[in-house]
Amino acid sequence: MTGAVLSYSESPDLAGEVAAAGAEVAKLLGTEAVALELDEVSAGLRTVNKVVLVKGERPLETIADSAAAGILEFVKARGFGALLIAETRFGTMVAAKVAARLTVGSLGKGKRLRVDGGRLVLERDVYGGRFTATVASRMPCVAVVQAGAYKAADASLGPTETVGVTVGEPKVAITQTKQGQHGEAGIKSALKIVSAGRGFARKEDLALAQNLANALGASLGCSRPLSSDLGWMGEEAHIGLTGAYVHPQLYVAIGISGQLQHVAGIKDSKVIVAINKDAQAPIFQVADYGIVGDLYEVVPALTKALKQG
Amino acid sequence: MNIVVLVKSAVDEAELKADPSGHPLLKGVSMKMSTFDMNGVEAAVKLKEQNGGTVIVLTLAGAEAKKAIKEAMAMGGTKAVHILAEAADAPDSLGTAYCLAQAVKRIGAVDLVVSSEGASDTYQGEVGAMVAEFLDLPFIAYAKKVETDGVKVKCEQGLMGTVRVLEANLPAVVSVVSEANVPRYPTLLQVMVAGKKAIEEIPLASLKGPDYPDTGTEVLDVSIQSASRKKVLFDGTPEEAARKLAGALKEEGVV
Amino acid sequence: MKIFGAEQERVLGSLYGAEAAEVYSALLRSLSLVLEEKVSPLSLALDQGNEEISKPRRVLFDQGVCKLPHATEFGGMGVPFGVYALAMELAAVADASTAMSLGIHNTVADAVSRFGSPEQKKRLLPVLLSGKKLAAFALTEPTSGSDARSMHTKAAHEGRYYVIDGSKMFITNAGEADLYLIFASMGTGHGAFLVEGTNPGLKVGKPLKEKLGMRASHTAEVRLVKCKVAEGSLLGKEGEGFEQAKQLLDSSRIVMGMICVGISRAAYVAALAYAKGRDLFGKKLSDMQLTREKVANASIETNASRLLCMHAARLKEIGKPYSSEAAQGKVLATESAARTCDAAIQLLGGYGYTSDDVHRHWRDARLLTIGEGASEVLRLLIASHELEREQ
Repeated sequence: MTGAVLSYSESPDLAGEVAAAGAEVAKLLGTEAVALELDEVSAGLRTVNKVVLVKGERPLETIADSAAAGILEFVKARGFGALLIAETRFGTMVAAKVAARLTVGSLGKGKRLRVDGGRLVLERDVYGGRFTATVASRMPCVAVVQAGAYKAADASLGPTETVGVTVGEPKVAITQTKQGQHGEAGIKSALKIVSAGRGFARKEDLALAQNLANALGASLGCSRPLSSDLGWMGEEAHIGLTGAYVHPQLYVAIGISGQLQHVAGIKDSKVIVAINKDAQAPIFQVADYGIVGDLYEVVPALTKALKQG
Repeated sequence: MNIVVLVKSAVDEAELKADPSGHPLLKGVSMKMSTFDMNGVEAAVKLKEQNGGTVIVLTLAGAEAKKAIKEAMAMGGTKAVHILAEAADAPDSLGTAYCLAQAVKRIGAVDLVVSSEGASDTYQGEVGAMVAEFLDLPFIAYAKKVETDGVKVKCEQGLMGTVRVLEANLPAVVSVVSEANVPRYPTLLQVMVAGKKAIEEIPLASLKGPDYPDTGTEVLDVSIQSASRKKVLFDGTPEEAARKLAGALKEEGVV
Repeated sequence: MKIFGAEQERVLGSLYGAEAAEVYSALLRSLSLVLEEKVSPLSLALDQGNEEISKPRRVLFDQGVCKLPHATEFGGMGVPFGVYALAMELAAVADASTAMSLGIHNTVADAVSRFGSPEQKKRLLPVLLSGKKLAAFALTEPTSGSDARSMHTKAAHEGRYYVIDGSKMFITNAGEADLYLIFASMGTGHGAFLVEGTNPGLKVGKPLKEKLGMRASHTAEVRLVKCKVAEGSLLGKEGEGFEQAKQLLDSSRIVMGMICVGISRAAYVAALAYAKGRDLFGKKLSDMQLTREKVANASIETNASRLLCMHAARLKEIGKPYSSEAAQGKVLATESAARTCDAAIQLLGGYGYTSDDVHRHWRDARLLTIGEGASEVLRLLIASHELEREQ
């Protein structure tokens, strides 16, 4: 029988999702689903899987080196069939290290996992998100699961088994934490998102988008230029192929032209709305509803119309 | 200091077309240096300018990669090493990382290997970490800033919300994000000089040792995605259009 | 739009062969990326007076465009003249005014390179090729353009100096330039003088504000009032000035022709994109036969113009006479550009008539059947070459 299907995320918000993925794959394989937690079991983790807490003498989850080493120690002792990791930058590092150390296949950032002829298969975006690649690997293997591909089970935790491991000193040291809390999922779990792009002339003008977001009860996100080139918003707000993949009920793209890289991150939204002054902007090809107009007039008007309801 | 920068020759995804059955027309498609690798090259060249030394551009690709290699050289590479791999033999991330690591070992006294957050065409983002594992070197990913004194490397790492500073002893591997720098445009003279520099070629097979990882990873299919959205446009004055939109969103049940 | 694309690669290949074309393609592709990123986005604002031409011009200087055709001895890159001409086509696709400003500057660099003394070349070529100093070419006058030989500006030899008096008109880069190449009559023949912009005897008039096109480039009258210059300012020998001007204009006509090819491309690509998206009578505008006729004509004329200009460039490269071919290329390219850009306005209909972004291409191109040799004069030149040929 194949080894267990392990699921892991350093992010409490995503651990439930990836555990659900693990449960589904384990069912297909007829094997056990195990949700791995490091250092401590996150409060609010919802899963039907067996939970194993891996602990070392010092924290494992702050550095990808240590997290990977902790998982590797566990796997050395117990074996595994597949290791599913929720997609975050941290998770991607852990996946790569584990796969390389074990010299097993690594299927990156995908969804729709299934089993075919003894291989794990998933689908992922390639070529700027314009194409879907279906990739397969012999098991055991590692796979990174994109946010929103699975929904956390509506169940509370069963008993937790604790496993102690000894890992070496990491080769990398954290000398300073400048901002943020490790393990944030951020905008990936948002149900409604208002997103800003280059159509905004000044950082101060983002207040218009924020007002609309408030009226909708939505989170504020952005396309890459606003977080990386302009620094108007933090990295965690960046939505796109190289940022966060989102799957909200409603996604409102304001002043966003709709470049491939951005569109890749929003495809799983239920309803997409576009507001842009350029009728030729590609965003209108992927929107359900759109207004061609000046965002400085349309957005306040929309905020007002929604409030008046 | 001796720096190796990993450069991928990537499909120009905006130019790629699909055949009638939705499969990508890869034959003869335009290739370019993977977008984020330009940031890697810029980071490596900046460090060379600050600390002295060499920048070796390392690529694993088919013959079409010459263009990307020359672009990297024009930005300030000292020399280039091209692991020649035909499309049919193209390894997966793990196999690629293994071969790149073997090439780095062959190059010899390397202080720093620079890679990027991911390839612009496939964006898996794992090769850098895997190369570090094969070389048994420290790895710092997603670096927004890279500094070194020749003994240690210090990076500001961005994890999409968390920003922290990490340090490791050289030799090490780092991967940079696009926020790290603005890649320079070489002058025409630099392009011409780079074009004349020799590129060392290594056949892929010569790097595969008995421990070459054969994971059996396979691409089963690649097909174009189609968007089937309503594409309804509301016109009129901003107020009129906004009202119609609000109404439609209510009907959709998303407000 | 990709300024250097597959089409340009093919042209290079057919003109220079695969191996050399690969080298030149790398150069032009790299230039194209810089143009797309740093020059094209400014183009409309330049036309509308909201951006300064010095900005995109500096980008092209820093890239080293001026260095391309010059010998390596003084900082050039020793690349064939035709490749430089193609580079100017690309520059014009990005912004016509900038390309023209640079082209005129390069004509003066060309003058120093061809006719300068070793001292003049050493002193001036490095700063001209790097763009550290900007140059202007002053031949035309308020009362003489086509009939340049009849110019009234005079230079008199007075001891160790020359004193120049007169007036030049429609001078590109006037007011911005650090160095002016002034042509003056000297009794018997003409002389070409390198005059510093700081010379108290050189006075630049107010910039011409009503230009139809090429609006970003600074154009003005330049008056010489007892303008005293040292003997070393004379380029070559006394009396050679007019012959020098003819030779310089032969080369610059190729460049002006290629600039028009670039302008045509910019207009044509935009019009075609619009036609593919515009709906009418249940079809797209690009489905209509009369649209397709315009597309075909634009294609024919742009390609023919480029190839005729490049034919002149290649003749120059191999040391053959090329005055007639250069004139032919300019006549064809400049007149075709007017037709192509006009057709582009027509295709865009009301938007064509009411958008600077559309009609500026026609407005920019409209200068070049006039400047650097009016089409009428060039036709006479071409005909006289034909009549002189042995039958």
